[in-house]
Amino acid sequence: MEKNELKVVGKGYPRHEAMEKVTGSACYTDDLVIPNLAYGAILRSPYPHARISSIDKSEAENTPGVLGILLPKDVPSRLYNSSGNPPSPLAVSDERILTDHPLHVGDRIAAVAAESPAACREGLSKISVVYEPLTPVFEIDKAIDENASCLHPEISDSNIFKTIKAEEGDVEAGFKASELVMEDCFTTPAVSHVCLETVGCICYYTQDGRLTIWSNSQTLFHERRILSEILGLPESKIRIIKPAMGGGFGSRQQLHNQPVGALLSKLVNRPVKIFNSREEEMVGTCVRHESKCHIKTGVSKEGLLQAFQAEVYHNTGAYGTHGPIVLAAQSKKLPYRISHYRYEGNCVYTNAPVAGAMRGYGNPQISFAREVLFDRIARRLKMDPVEFRLKNHIHPGDRIPGSPLELKSCALRECIEAGEKIRKEIDDRKTSDITNPDSDIVESWGVALGMHTSGPSNNTGMSSAAILVNDDGSANLLTGSADMGQGSETALSQIVAEVLGIELNDVTVTSADTLYTPFEMGTFASSQAYVAGNAVFAAAEDVVENVKTALMKYYKIGPEAIVWKDGLFQIAAPEEKISLTFKEAIAKITFVENGTIIIGRSSFKAEHSPPPFAVCWAKVAFDKLTRSIKIQHIIQVVDVGRPLNPDIITGQIEGGIMMGLGYALMEQVTIDKRASKPSANDLLAYRIPSSMDMPEIHTHIVTSFEPTGPFGAKSVGEMTTVPVAPAIVNAVAAASGDDISSLPLTKYYNIINRR
Amino acid sequence: MTHHQIAIEMDVNGVRHHINVAPGTTLLEVLREHLNLKGTKHGCGNGECGACTVIMNGKAVNACLVLAVRANKKRITTIEGLASNRQLHPIQKEFIENGAVQCGFCTPGMIISAKSLLDETPEPDRDDIKEALSGNLCRCSGYQKIVQAVASASQSMKRGA
Repeated sequence: MEKNELKVVGKGYPRHEAMEKVTGSACYTDDLVIPNLAYGAILRSPYPHARISSIDKSEAENTPGVLGILLPKDVPSRLYNSSGNPPSPLAVSDERILTDHPLHVGDRIAAVAAESPAACREGLSKISVVYEPLTPVFEIDKAIDENASCLHPEISDSNIFKTIKAEEGDVEAGFKASELVMEDCFTTPAVSHVCLETVGCICYYTQDGRLTIWSNSQTLFHERRILSEILGLPESKIRIIKPAMGGGFGSRQQLHNQPVGALLSKLVNRPVKIFNSREEEMVGTCVRHESKCHIKTGVSKEGLLQAFQAEVYHNTGAYGTHGPIVLAAQSKKLPYRISHYRYEGNCVYTNAPVAGAMRGYGNPQISFAREVLFDRIARRLKMDPVEFRLKNHIHPGDRIPGSPLELKSCALRECIEAGEKIRKEIDDRKTSDITNPDSDIVESWGVALGMHTSGPSNNTGMSSAAILVNDDGSANLLTGSADMGQGSETALSQIVAEVLGIELNDVTVTSADTLYTPFEMGTFASSQAYVAGNAVFAAAEDVVENVKTALMKYYKIGPEAIVWKDGLFQIAAPEEKISLTFKEAIAKITFVENGTIIIGRSSFKAEHSPPPFAVCWAKVAFDKLTRSIKIQHIIQVVDVGRPLNPDIITGQIEGGIMMGLGYALMEQVTIDKRASKPSANDLLAYRIPSSMDMPEIHTHIVTSFEPTGPFGAKSVGEMTTVPVAPAIVNAVAAASGDDISSLPLTKYYNIINRR
Repeated sequence: MTHHQIAIEMDVNGVRHHINVAPGTTLLEVLREHLNLKGTKHGCGNGECGACTVIMNGKAVNACLVLAVRANKKRITTIEGLASNRQLHPIQKEFIENGAVQCGFCTPGMIISAKSLLDETPEPDRDDIKEALSGNLCRCSGYQKIVQAVASASQSMKRGA
């Protein structure tokens, strides 16, 4: 893959589906019009912990409009893990389709199918359930106490059901050799994804034993495999289709209502639609792991990192889902040169809402702790925090501590330099909230470094693609990629167009249908640009090879007489020397005596997960009198290798900043202790940033190149949220002089957003 | 469970409809289920997210909070009513050009809120735009390109584009 002038890759083409979205004609799961559709709804536990002694469905069954009801005894009781991951001992099977021993508010107890949503609600309200409430435990400390009762005694005799360890060197020796050792315990809350579209599916289990599911899903192929196991159907009889999708961020990286939907459909012999209300979404899907990170770091008197130790507890809620895998991923997220490293991550069951995958997958939690502690160390050494990062960050050729792979690209220095330049330009504007010398307002900058992955860091990234070439030389890309709005379909189409030397308009993409599109690991771990991208690149190269073979047959020449270069097949045939564009070549080889149809295919297993890098700065004004903070500016500079589509990338940076801002300032899943229920169940109580909460944003993509990536690309999706909260906290700490060890900041300060 | 039905009529995107609705039916349900106009989205059902924004008699409203009977004899504009004669509205064009569309679920509501703003304030400044859109939540974009798209749209509409 050479660094020449590219025609399609690297350009900011608009998303191919943008027209449909701006006219309201894009079809999302709830927009589908399905004949003979019935509706489903789930009876969810109002208690965080209870045993059910009896359920009476007779009155509900006789309610007009109700078609059928499922109770725990009516469905397979087999335990499964709902997360969309390849088979792994870290994916613990601890969840049931329906349960008579609910372990969290929102746990699934029964399900109703009815003629209308109103009849569903009526039916649900008539199911009589006798609960024996049991004592819940919501907090990590209480759950790991030796007297705590176990949520899943069949899995583990402790609520810490999995511990992940990583170690290099000798941290004790490292701390002994350190001039300065600092430690603290940092806590971050559970937060919600708040996709604008809630989780939902339409399931149709036909009488001849075929199951079709339309759902807003990120991990169609893994879900198909899990459903195949739970329902006893071969994968060839299960079809999962993802329509247009209103966001994901990890919330759709697991099964939710699909097993229930499938069984309701089987019961009533009609397609059944189940869609979460916003309240169900907030308590009954998944949240980001609440964390407690004890971090200890030692540095030399020159400020060089000697040793780093992390002891982490993650609150995974009632079921494991992704929990242990999040910790394994978290153990490999240290973008610094350190020889002595020890990580221990503990996954803890509680009766809090289930935690699962959320953008960053463990990285935001540990990066917050680390970057805030590193800033305190820099201040103690009277060193500029930027200087501290420059002295210690990872370089190309290094390994990330805990990971076996050598970095082939890392432009952190360039990111820091570019951001510092932007920072200086902002300061030179000399606009300020400080209006007079006696003002109570202090303005400060904060900085933080982050990294993430291009595909899973445990190297399970796998993807495949097929390209059907039409007889006019245009191409249909088939990819399992489940675009959730991040633009993967467009970026992948750009790769095809670039390799084949055709226009982007000549590429049509079909995606995310397990019947028609090849296996794809799923849109998580930021895998699309790199893993799917490499698969698509390989499939496009396969197309070129197949065209070459067909041309050799047509011109009766050997491989030495044909070269593909700069978008042309240069052919030295016996009678003539001829150059053909891709389309001309297709025209030559199709409707002839020994004509060929061209199909390109690939299977790609990732050996690397090259980290992209981001550096984030925040400028904050702090009012000492009112203890208010106002975020004025956020800068984020990224190294994503060669950008496939710069507009898509800046869109990801801006969106990631918004999510990080919410995490830093205002978002938390709260549990009302007296009611024993999550209390922030709607978008009034649970605030995400609005347009008015956004400060001035400055983004920049540095020049970089990853040799193992398609056209040198790395991925971007999750990384952009990782360094934002610590950058903001570092700015507030610098301005206020406070040591901040916990999010969100609204616990300690007023947040001002108006200019 | 049968409710008595109430007969209502409304003009949606220039087309007159006569419908019978149960008393508790919302305008959002009428648009999506009775009239099969799926462009207006259901995001929260509580008037918090703005995904269901439509224009009713010239004013932007959350269709999930408007009872259908209150929309009787009113003029409704939904996202489907913006483009005319296969020509996109300038706001729609600018959303595409400026990369303001990611998952697209907030997009119809955003565009309708933007239209409502520009109908009243043809040359808003950035703060006006941010405030007008503050009732439309977006989780993907960070709002930057959306605000830019609306600013560009006001410029191109001023030029008569």
